[in-house]
Amino acid sequence: MAVTAPTAATRPSSITSRTGAAAVTAALVLLVAGLAAVDITQGTASVGVPEVWRALTGRADPGDASVVIASRLPRMVAGLFVGAVLGMAGAALQAVSRNVLASPDTLAVNAGSYFGLGLLAVTGASLPLLASSGVAFVGGLAAAAVVLGLSGLGAGTVRLVLAGSALTLGLSAITEGLLLLFPQQTAGIFRWNQGSIAQHGFDGVLQMAPIGLVGLVGLLLLARRVDALALGDDAARGLGVPVRSTRVTAVVLAALLSTAAVTLAGPVGFVGMCAPALVRPLARRFRGFTRNRASLPVAGLTGAALVLGSDVLLRAVVRTDVAVAVPTGVVTSLVGAVFLIVMAIRVKDTATAAAVDRLRIRSRTVFLVTTAVLVAVLVGVIVAAVLVGDSKLLLGDVLNWAQGRAGRTTTFVLDTRVPRVVAALLAGAALALAGTLVQAVTRNPLAEPGILGVSGGAALGAVLLVTTVPLAGSWSVAGAAFAGAALSSVIVFGLAARGGFQQNRLVLVGFGVATASAALVSLLIILTDPFNATKALTWLSGSTYGRTLPDVVPLAIVLVVGLVVAVARRTELDLVSLDEDTPRLLGLSLGGSRFGFLLLGVLLSATAVAAAGTIGFVGLVAPHAARALVGRQHHRVVPVAVLLGAVLVCTADLVGRTVIAPAQLGAGLMTAVIGTPYFLHLLVRSRR
Amino acid sequence: MRRLLLTVAAATVAAVTLTACGTTEPAADDAKKTAAPITLTDASGAKVELAGPAKKVVGTEWNVVESLVSLGVDPVGVADVAGYKTWNTAVPLKGEPKDIGTRGEPSMDTIASLKPDLVIATSDLPPAALQQLRKVAPVLEVRPGDAADPIGQMTKNLDLIAQATGTTAQSDKLKQGFQAKLDQGKKALADAGKGGAAYAFADGYVISNQVSIRPYTSGSLIGGVNEKLGLKNAWTVQGDEAYGLATSDVEGLTKLGDVEFAYIGNDGDKDSNPFAGVLAQDKVWTSLPFVQKGNVNRLPDGIWMFGGPESMNKYIDSVVAALTK
Repeated sequence: MAVTAPTAATRPSSITSRTGAAAVTAALVLLVAGLAAVDITQGTASVGVPEVWRALTGRADPGDASVVIASRLPRMVAGLFVGAVLGMAGAALQAVSRNVLASPDTLAVNAGSYFGLGLLAVTGASLPLLASSGVAFVGGLAAAAVVLGLSGLGAGTVRLVLAGSALTLGLSAITEGLLLLFPQQTAGIFRWNQGSIAQHGFDGVLQMAPIGLVGLVGLLLLARRVDALALGDDAARGLGVPVRSTRVTAVVLAALLSTAAVTLAGPVGFVGMCAPALVRPLARRFRGFTRNRASLPVAGLTGAALVLGSDVLLRAVVRTDVAVAVPTGVVTSLVGAVFLIVMAIRVKDTATAAAVDRLRIRSRTVFLVTTAVLVAVLVGVIVAAVLVGDSKLLLGDVLNWAQGRAGRTTTFVLDTRVPRVVAALLAGAALALAGTLVQAVTRNPLAEPGILGVSGGAALGAVLLVTTVPLAGSWSVAGAAFAGAALSSVIVFGLAARGGFQQNRLVLVGFGVATASAALVSLLIILTDPFNATKALTWLSGSTYGRTLPDVVPLAIVLVVGLVVAVARRTELDLVSLDEDTPRLLGLSLGGSRFGFLLLGVLLSATAVAAAGTIGFVGLVAPHAARALVGRQHHRVVPVAVLLGAVLVCTADLVGRTVIAPAQLGAGLMTAVIGTPYFLHLLVRSRR
Repeated sequence: MRRLLLTVAAATVAAVTLTACGTTEPAADDAKKTAAPITLTDASGAKVELAGPAKKVVGTEWNVVESLVSLGVDPVGVADVAGYKTWNTAVPLKGEPKDIGTRGEPSMDTIASLKPDLVIATSDLPPAALQQLRKVAPVLEVRPGDAADPIGQMTKNLDLIAQATGTTAQSDKLKQGFQAKLDQGKKALADAGKGGAAYAFADGYVISNQVSIRPYTSGSLIGGVNEKLGLKNAWTVQGDEAYGLATSDVEGLTKLGDVEFAYIGNDGDKDSNPFAGVLAQDKVWTSLPFVQKGNVNRLPDGIWMFGGPESMNKYIDSVVAALTK
């Protein structure tokens, strides 16, 4: 990634830039101090500025003093600490991987830690904080190792984010599954999952502080070597820098830092990615910041300002007893998302499009065999999905049901089960098709409705409607989902269009919008319906629970239209996905069809979300897998991807309904659990 | 990959053909109808028609289940049986009801296979799920709570369930017993000089190292009972519309002032009792006036805070015992 590499431009006045750097640092320190001061005057107790002042000067009554000392100060310090360590961890990760998107979030460190902690919570073992953070550290480090190992150190942004988001999705899905299976042990962990800096006493901070310190000192000691890595591996080796051990050490230290943050406050999202991103333009202005030793602490300061600023903002805007219920992480995600989007637009994207996946040319026979096999698998899965469930049925039952002669139980079971199977099938197919279309149009292997924020926008629209109009019908939910999806795609594609849908900008803006919409959905559910875990599950991770046939009608119609268009316009899809110039050389203007394909993709994902919630992964995995199986011509990719998508989600739904019956897991969770290993396998195989 | 797909396909097809034929239930026959029909209007305003008093009843929420057991009807299906057994020992399940899954997403399949006469659900279930349930059996939808009149809503639900199951005599007895218990408790508290005492009830949980406190405002069932006992609810925070529950943190407790504080935890659920656990070290907690005076009362486990008259009777007994000790 060229963006992190120091620009070799010669700056004449290094003295002014050094004072400039000092001034910027001082301003940051002042900002953080100011935010910290405001933060300790906010809270649920009626302890405002005068009381805090008296407490700090030792003249307050003991009650107020204890609030300041045991609640406000620890919270403030935790905010500082969490922000600082996340900012530094992000800066270090971005430097060693030469990747602007590397952060605890994208390297799945948070997800790994969360998974470790979730496992621990479920076993019911109650360990001291330090020991449980050990578990979180192991989890986080392992996840980071897997992601970096799969994507290759210093390799492209695309692979890193693919591997990272895949593992994040998979791990969080397993964790959420555990939480659902053990709801009593893990009550309220849904909120914890968003990250909150509230503390009781200094114990937590004090126990985590040494870890943070070790991480920081280690990174500072390593800073010169990390600087050398920016020159490229060979140049660094030439300078006598042990490239491999530097990287490994830096990643371990960064994982240590993020673990400290996760143990203390839960995953506070986006800070690790945003803080260094905010420092980066400074590094271009003031050369003092190009060195890691200087930019690390500044990234830490920026992180602290982000976290504290979010906390202050939340408590200033929302009524105090409501503010308690809203995790800080939701706000940092929102703030971070906005920053990220702004940054993405301003950043000069010098990255070239990712190398097109090298695919073997497949013969027609291969395509036909693959399709036939997939159809057979699909039929098998459908039959199994209809027959298997809490109550097992046999084909004769289905026959009776189809003829309207089935008994009461069978009729009911099938009446409720069949719509779920249909919803899963259609949602899977629609998401796969949407992914195929969007990937073709943007020529971006990362472009997936979920990652690009389109699904998130759809969920937000649907949740807004469902919260305000409890008895909304399926068409109006689909309409609201489409409105949300349309809005988010206008934002994403509109902002990324400048400069022609460049890789990083599109993914960054999309990632920002996806995070922002997920945070807003959480926020809406927490504020309007805090005790409704089912609602949260449906809209955040996909579920076919309670679907009826009328609910899937909009989806079915859109899917049919989508398939017809995709098949009819297959040649255009091939051309659009090729490159910018070939169509022009052929004298074709593809602007119109591009827009049409995009609109279709948005419609498909919106109706899929309305029918089954946000099911991640399918739009990403299915087209990739299809291309790997049958090559890149769209008349082959489309049917194979659609079949794969349908099989994947239908299987996920089937497994989710049966493994822990009569309780059930969301299809989205199961999709991630099933999809992750396959996707990672795909990444490994495509590695050359 | 392709070989794998092929194998999977072959295996599925083979498995399906080998095992999936036949039926698990004979084709429909004409059922016989007897007994005097019952017609009720439930919380959704829908007419619920029953052929007679329901015998095989499924309950999707624990408050409904408790009411059923109290009325002498053993439900055939209960959501999260293990959870009910942990949290509601005041009214233990008598039979061995089938577990129908989680309270949020009870399994339609399992409910259907029980062939119930009646499903009693709360409006906490998604409307679509309620609609589906109406196809398997008559569904009596009750409001889970009403912060405007929590006790009224509880008795209203009890009466409705009693009518549907033909146990109105028992429900009258329960209501009388509850009223008597309230009067008794009020008198006992007044005699001990606790009439009009400022009182706050809460529960709480610890996640990672963070403490959440859930205040029970006057709109909660417990809050309603407290007021009938002549206690003054010290919470000033606003609760939600159905359950009268609010959210707070340890700091929020400083607004209570000098009160009697009571909570219910659960030994079967470690994280449900921060008050005797992590807060012991917390300076904000230890400097609270009611903590310093020792006015923190742990009430016995197993009283379901959102239950029916029997849970509330137990609650009254334990509050009176705690405050008059």
